[in-house]
Order: sequence, then C-alpha cells, then structure tokens
Amino acid sequence: MAGAENGRGGAALAELLVAREVERFLIREVGLLDDRRFEDWIELFTEDGTYWAPARVDQDDPWEHVSLFFDDRELMTTRLARLRHPRVYAQIPHSRTSHTIGNVTVDPPDPDADAYEVGARFVMLDYRSGHGQRSFGGRYDYRLVREGDSFRIASKKATLLNCDAVHEAISIPF
Amino acid sequence: MLANGDLSRLVTDTRIHRDLFQDRAIFDLEMERIFARSWVYVGHDSQVPEPGDFLCTRIGAQPVVMVRHTDGKVHVLYNRCGHRGVKVVAEEEGNAKRFMCMYHGWTYDTNGDLDFVTQPEGYPEGRHPDKVRDGMGRIARVDDLCGFVFANQSEEGPGLRDWLGANAVCLEDLADSAPDGEVEIRGGVHRYMYRGNWKFQIDNLSDMYHPAYSHESSSRPTGQQFARRKGDKGGIEFRGKRGRVKSMDPLGVSALPNGHSWQGGLPQIENTSELHREYVRRLEARHGPERTKEVLTKTRHNVIFYPNMAMQELNPHIRVIRPVAADLTEIFVYPIRLKGAPEQMFREQIRILNGTHSASSMVQTDDVEAFARAQEGLSTTGNEWILLARAGEEKVDPATGRVSSIGTSEVAMRNHYATWLSLMSRA
Repeated sequence: MAGAENGRGGAALAELLVAREVERFLIREVGLLDDRRFEDWIELFTEDGTYWAPARVDQDDPWEHVSLFFDDRELMTTRLARLRHPRVYAQIPHSRTSHTIGNVTVDPPDPDADAYEVGARFVMLDYRSGHGQRSFGGRYDYRLVREGDSFRIASKKATLLNCDAVHEAISIPF
Repeated sequence: MLANGDLSRLVTDTRIHRDLFQDRAIFDLEMERIFARSWVYVGHDSQVPEPGDFLCTRIGAQPVVMVRHTDGKVHVLYNRCGHRGVKVVAEEEGNAKRFMCMYHGWTYDTNGDLDFVTQPEGYPEGRHPDKVRDGMGRIARVDDLCGFVFANQSEEGPGLRDWLGANAVCLEDLADSAPDGEVEIRGGVHRYMYRGNWKFQIDNLSDMYHPAYSHESSSRPTGQQFARRKGDKGGIEFRGKRGRVKSMDPLGVSALPNGHSWQGGLPQIENTSELHREYVRRLEARHGPERTKEVLTKTRHNVIFYPNMAMQELNPHIRVIRPVAADLTEIFVYPIRLKGAPEQMFREQIRILNGTHSASSMVQTDDVEAFARAQEGLSTTGNEWILLARAGEEKVDPATGRVSSIGTSEVAMRNHYATWLSLMSRA
C-alpha cells in the first residue's frame, strides 16, 4: 500500500520535473530573443524546425494562407542576419523586447518521452525609442524533441490574440 | 475650403508642397475629389463567388460592402442603414440572404434595396420608407476587368476601360499567366499600417531609385537579394562589381494617363525547377510556345492602378492602399492564385509573400519606415517642398499617352501629381 503511494508520488514528482525542465527551456528560449542572441535562438531549432506566427486565430495551415511569419531555418537565418545589418532602417533604433511566458502545459507528462507537445501563454512587449511601446500576446504551441539533457524545437507556433489586426511593422519574433 | 488657385500653387513641374502630406483639409478634399470620383479598386469577384457572399471594405474613408446579389450581379453598397445611418454589416466577410440593421431591425436585400421595415403601422400614409431611396444605397457605377471590381461614386467621367487605358492590358496579361486563363484571390490578406500619407506608397511603387539604399539590409554581402520565386537562382541585384550600386535605369518606368504607371520588369532570373517547368508546360498547352514566352517575360514589375491599387506579377499579388488620415495609411496585400498552375506553386508564392509583404516582412518594413520618417521630416518648415526632378529621355506613345523613361526617372511621380491636381481642381 505504502509502496503504491510512493509510486504515485514518484510519478507526480517526475511529471513536475519534466514540466519544470520544459518551462526552464522556454524561459531560456525567449530570453535569447530579448538578449538579441538571434544566432543562438536559431540553433535551438531542429534542422527542419519551423517558426510560425499565423495571420488568423483559427489557421491550421501555413501553406494555404498567409502568415505573419513562417520561417524555416534558412529564412530565419536570412531574417536575423538582416537584423545584424548596420543599415536595417526598420530597426534603427532597434526594438527592445521583453517576453514573458506562463500557463505552460506539457503533453505527454511522461519524463521518458522523445517529443512533447507544449502549450503556453505569452506576452511580448516591444519598445522602439521614439515609437512608443507595443504589447503582443497570445498562445504558444511547441513541439519539442529530446536532445541529451535538453530539447530542440521542431516547431514553434505563436498565435497572437490580434494576429489579424492591421499591425505596424514587426521585426522581432514573438 | 481651399480654393483651386491654392491647390495649383502646391504642384509645380518638379516640386510638390509638403501640405499635400500634412494638411487635413487636403486629405478630406482628396477623399471627396479623388476617391469619390474615380474608379477605385474594391475587390475581386472570386472573393464573393456565390449569391449572398459579401466582403466589407472601404472606398477612401467610407465603409462599403461588396456583395453578390441573387441575380449574380456584384454590387457595392454603402454600409449604412437607410433609417438612422447605423453601419449595417459588421462582419468582415460572409454570406447573407439579407442584411439586418441591429438598431431597429430593418432588413435589406443583397442589392441594397430596403426589404422590410419593422412595425410598419408606425408610418402613416405617405410617410412609408421607400425601397430604393431609403435602402443602403448602391455605388453609382460598378464594373470589372478580369474579375477585378472597381467602383465609381460618380455618374460622370470615363468608363472603367477608358479610365484604366493601357493598364487594362496588365490585368489581361495576368489572367493569361494562369494556365486556365483566370485568376482568383485566395489565401487571406497581409495587413499593415504606417504613420504616413497614402501618397508615399503610390510614389514608392514607381520608385526604382530607392531599393539599393532602403532595402540594402535585405541583400547579401554580394549585393543580391533573396529569391522572389521558388526555384529562381537568386534575386534582385542591388550591387555589381566592386560594390557599386547597380542602376535600375535600364528597366525603365512608364507613366500613363489618369495617374497610372508601371515599373519595367526585373531582369529575368533563370528557373530550372521541375515546378516551374510543369507550369510552363501547362501554359504552353493553353497558349502555344510563342505566347507562353511572352507571358513569362515580365515586362512590368509594380503596376499602379491610381489611386488605390497596385499589382505585381512576379510573385502575383495585389496591394490595396487604404487612406485613413493625412498621416495614417493601411496597406492590404492579397495573394493571387493563377488557376490551373501547379498547386505547389501557389504554396511557395504564399511562403515568399510572407517574407516580402507581411507586417513582419524583410522588405516592406523598410518602406514603411521611410514613409513614417517622410511624414515626420515634412513637418519641418525650413523647406516646404519635395523635389521630383529626376528625369531622362522621354518617349511618348501617341496611341496610349504612355510616357516611358529611364528606371530612376521621377516621371511617374510627376504624372501622379499632375493627375492629382487635375482631379483636385474640379469643383
């Protein structure tokens, strides 16, 4: 009886640990964007990984409908290399961002799984000197794959609450 | 009210006054004299394929509904109730048998006629609302070319084809670039805005002088931009040997009557992908090899349909310019699907359009930055003028009135403001 309780407790603890591990990974991931470590951010994606910000809240396909972002590694590299260019006028002065992540869910909770479907909510503040501060927020959906003692991102989808609004220029990924 | 004499002082042969961008009274007058009296692009009939299908948009600053009536005809209606003026249709798009006003429950047919007035006994003899006069109101003239629907709020002036002139061919060529001979708008819309005047976008679309400078950050150290089409071996070359900026003069620019214009086509880039070859095969099946070759040789890049639409054939899309205020403009960009082309081609089109024309694109973001900085720069009073003096040799085609010149000539912008002044000067 006591053993069974320990088993349940052990499983709960393992779930908690994997949830915490995922959360720490995500905090680090969005932190790289805030720290403008774009090259390191790209490295978190698998070779065929994608970053997607749909233009509709109910959009289930990035190929049949336009998106705010739909980048494979190659496009991410082109985009973020541009941000390093000395004359990227849309980013002079460049954005300061702050990404906050929360309400993280991990599926499956099994600590030994190879891949996880992760859900989260986010808020990103974007401030360009002289342009005021904007706030973006919504839902993240990730597919993370285990790699050693960490993860890599097979896909990241950022669905903005107002993804279909008429936006001013956006430069930094959500 | 501005007097016409005041307006003519604002546009000279080579300069335009900053008031054209800063003055709210001028903006209001533009809505009245340009947007309410010209053929303004509204939408494509593929966006309302079935009776009852509707799409809400704007003509100038006015909300309108483009809708297909039960008889198949496309109407453009003012989006207001005939009773107290409440905006009737709130959804962006959809299908309706009738439109009902939320305020007192009046209903309208999909041609805008008044259908039913609630509690009709409250209107005594002789006071009952009239089917047409108290309807939503139809825009005076609606016409289309290759499915592109334009509306004109004025009964006067030329018909659509005359208004478009040589630009009409551009829409026909676009249709010919579809193996089924038809295009449709599909795949949603990119929307973005900038804190600047709508005319900056018009001028920019005929500006082949700016890319190597404004968009330098989108090019590789070799001076070449990313490819604009799947399978293309590279993209636009901003710089040539030793890093010198490559002039776009050889591409040419054309100015047409009624403010329209186009940029010459970008240099052909080789595409040997299987996808492209399949597309060519399908085109040849329709047109034969000769016409196919013509269709594939893009002789125009951005084509401006004054005052509010531009089309690009290379990665087919249209751009709709929506003025909001003197210093605020929205841009809507719609992908165009070439019917009968390989489905994968459209998917790649969508993917590339995300990179070039979304709110987070690698190209438009530089342009809108320039527009906002122009709006701010023009608030200075030390120099009241914008200079549009670049010119090269000009050739006139007497049949169409088309003036062509070197790529970086500002002739299309001068033409734009000549039309602007002529439209604005009509009381």
